[in-house]
Amino acid sequence: MSAILDIKNLTVTLQQSPGVVPVLENLSFSVKAGKTIALVGESGCGKSMTALAIMGLLPDGFQIAGGSIALEGQDVAKLPGDALRQLRGNRMSMIFQEPMTALNPVYTVGDQISEALRLHQGLSRQTARERAIAMLRAVQIPAPERRIDAYPHQLSGGMRQRVMIAMALACRPRLLIADEPTTALDVTVQAQIFDLLREMQQDIGTAIVLITHDLSAVADITDEVAVLYAGRCIEQGPTATILNQPQHPYTRGLIASVPHLRLGLAAAQPSEALEEIPGMVPGLGKRGPLCGFAPRCRYSAGPCLEAPPPTTGTGSHQVACWHPQGEAA
Amino acid sequence: MITDILVKIANAALLLLAVVVLNFCLIHAAPGDPAQVIAGEMGGASQEVLDQIRRLYDLDKPMLHQLAIYIGKVLQGDFGHSFYFNESVTKLILQRLPATVILVLAALSLAVLAGTFLGVLSARKPNGLLNHFVTFFSLAGYAAPVFWTGLMLILLFASAIPLFPISGMADVARPKQGAAYILDVLHHLVLPALTLAIVYMAQYSRLSRTSMIDALRADYIRTARAKGLSERTVVFKHALRNALIPVVTMVGLQFGHLFAGAVLVETVFGWPGLGRLVFESILRRDYPTLLGVLFFSALLVMLANIATDIAYRLVDPRIRLRR
Amino acid sequence: MNTAPPVPPALTPANETVAIVRISPLRETFRLFVQNPTGMIGACLFGMILLLTLFGPTLYEIDPFDIAGAPFTSPDAEYWFGTDYLGRDILAGILVGGRATLTVGAVAAIITLAIGIAMGSLSGFFGGMLDTTLMKITEFFQVLPTLLFAMVLVTLFGASLQTITLAIGVVSWTGVARLTRAEFLRIRELDYVKAATAAGAGSSYTILRVILPNALPPIIVAAAFAIGISILFEGGMSFLGLGDPNVMSWGMMIGQNRNYALDAWWVVVMPGAAIFLAVLSISLIGDGINDALNPRLRKR
Repeated sequence: MSAILDIKNLTVTLQQSPGVVPVLENLSFSVKAGKTIALVGESGCGKSMTALAIMGLLPDGFQIAGGSIALEGQDVAKLPGDALRQLRGNRMSMIFQEPMTALNPVYTVGDQISEALRLHQGLSRQTARERAIAMLRAVQIPAPERRIDAYPHQLSGGMRQRVMIAMALACRPRLLIADEPTTALDVTVQAQIFDLLREMQQDIGTAIVLITHDLSAVADITDEVAVLYAGRCIEQGPTATILNQPQHPYTRGLIASVPHLRLGLAAAQPSEALEEIPGMVPGLGKRGPLCGFAPRCRYSAGPCLEAPPPTTGTGSHQVACWHPQGEAA
Repeated sequence: MITDILVKIANAALLLLAVVVLNFCLIHAAPGDPAQVIAGEMGGASQEVLDQIRRLYDLDKPMLHQLAIYIGKVLQGDFGHSFYFNESVTKLILQRLPATVILVLAALSLAVLAGTFLGVLSARKPNGLLNHFVTFFSLAGYAAPVFWTGLMLILLFASAIPLFPISGMADVARPKQGAAYILDVLHHLVLPALTLAIVYMAQYSRLSRTSMIDALRADYIRTARAKGLSERTVVFKHALRNALIPVVTMVGLQFGHLFAGAVLVETVFGWPGLGRLVFESILRRDYPTLLGVLFFSALLVMLANIATDIAYRLVDPRIRLRR
Repeated sequence: MNTAPPVPPALTPANETVAIVRISPLRETFRLFVQNPTGMIGACLFGMILLLTLFGPTLYEIDPFDIAGAPFTSPDAEYWFGTDYLGRDILAGILVGGRATLTVGAVAAIITLAIGIAMGSLSGFFGGMLDTTLMKITEFFQVLPTLLFAMVLVTLFGASLQTITLAIGVVSWTGVARLTRAEFLRIRELDYVKAATAAGAGSSYTILRVILPNALPPIIVAAAFAIGISILFEGGMSFLGLGDPNVMSWGMMIGQNRNYALDAWWVVVMPGAAIFLAVLSISLIGDGINDALNPRLRKR
């Protein structure tokens, strides 16, 4: 099966007064229909920028400087604004972190769901409304016939995120980008939302790019993981492999900092000491060609401070590190 | 929502009653004989007229009794008699009211529409030329006295650009009916309405710019863009309606100011409305007319408040559906 | 204030904390204001206007009521701003008239602030029935069109500088009252106020020494605009002939000359420009203070 989304060597830069600063460098990954990839990393690693680059919604000053973003074979990085707009909300769509503010407070949820349907599928007001009700039912909102006329402030956070999902999936997109969709929600609601996403995925066959800093979420619902650090992909591979045999010290640090992580289908590991990764992600413009993690890495030595790390690995599991570690700590 | 508005109306009625009481107090607090005050034209009223007034208002009875009489008269729509115009105050005011309402509504619509439009345009490019213009315009519009702006427009349009009439409400030589008359009034309306609108246009453009910039930064705008909506829909559907909420509030708060500004503008342009009446009654010390206008203007402000309250609820569902 | 209860000695440390909180925002605001170009342009312009009205009449010794030349002399080397319909020197009128206009503006603004702060702070601090009552009164005053109400008051009680000033103050305080009330409602809930209350500070002490100083910054901005509005109101009333006939003012000059505007533009342009520049300078100052209070907004 061919990939829905195939990103090759994507580079995004920010135009600043002293010059051009790289934000994302040589990022490559792909997702097939019905599959999910997680982009993992601390904030400031470029996860959300990747999402916005795919959607063509980069903020002013940011631009795609190289590489390609192929959506079902079509390079969206090179599409003009209008053509891109026709894809957004239609063949690819996105849900955001804050369901409280991501919905427009002055329009009913029905209006906001129907909007994309009427725009992209040319449905009449009435048909769009019926489809919107069906979507609300699909995302398991009780009494959708009534809720369709509700305003966002009348719904709970979990409900609003369900509405966001209904809105994003209304046109049955081939690709869904979920940017930290559960961060703002209660733990119990988080699980429900992930279950819902998975069900909807099976139903529609959408490819999902899930952006998260929460590795516990990754374990359950994703097929692949790409770990980003300071705008670069430092490790990538099947979820089980990454979680069981992380090679990059940063990935291992991320895993070690999550309590009681269930490793895929494997039995729960004996609990480890929680570790904290010292230091912070280097800011934009402070990133040289060398391994960006080296200053925080306990293994950094010799080549780490002299040359960019080589990308090595077996099959689908790739890691960019001078000192890949074989076993989980 | 209906109950809310009924409560507002009841509240408004109470406030109006308070205005009547205020008028009564003013008549008695003013220096001199209340009968003289009611007669107007200090010292000019004949003994006969004064006696008649004393009888009508029971001025020799206790205060509370007089107040009751006064309120009773007001409830019957009787605000007294203007001895200068020799006409009942109510009739006088009702004659002049339409002209003022036309002027105020025209100025208000112009200010809101043009102001919001300028604000929205300048919000799109926060560092653009238009933005600086809006900042300057809003400061200048605020600082220029409205009667002076009017005079400046008269200077400009009298000889340099003689496009619009600079005085009156209609050409006296023409018949007062038909479409030609309406067009003539509109033609005369341009300069007064523009004068009155400039101040508020300036303020609304600034306010709507700020609220538009805020709205355009909101998360729901990103959501709207992610849906693939056109830029126009994003700005004019999703951002504008949110940005309008503070503008609507401001319109309600400023209606009184707008009305007071109309007094000055009408005087400058000879517009035959309540403001012009106020000017004339100030010159003649015609107190009943003045107090009558005060009451009617409070009534107008109150109606405007109720209207903005309804508009506010229509724009913002969070207020409408609070309970 | 005499009404403030003597503070027990045990309270001293708490008072010092309060004092620190009180001073720093204003000082910081002042520092930012000086760096703000808008505000400084306004301050310079206003300073010039102030100097001209203070010392101008002594340097330019012409009585503004005197007939100095032929009527409608256009601006020239002798009469810089020309003469009006009676032949009075307009420059002299502007220099002298500024005194009345600015004084009325300043005093009316002080009255506005005094009433507004009193109503707003009592209402915001005590809440309950008092709040409801005071807010009803505020609502009542808001219903009356401000300028019109002031004109009625001046017509009834006689046109003198005092009544005009008082009338402007009496009609314009509602905005300040609402603003003060909102600030009080906000600050009342902050920890240092609770700390002061817990330490036994009385109501008047808390209002005047703890909350009010912290509520002042936005009120200062409102004060700048109150001066501007008072000047505009004074101008408007004098324009309609409600000014003190014995005192020259900018509004009166326009009002008396307005019928001749088409024959001699300078008779209305000059005094109007004076009002315009005075109000503009004050609102620039207000803007500058506002920017200084909200440094984040400047980046927009």
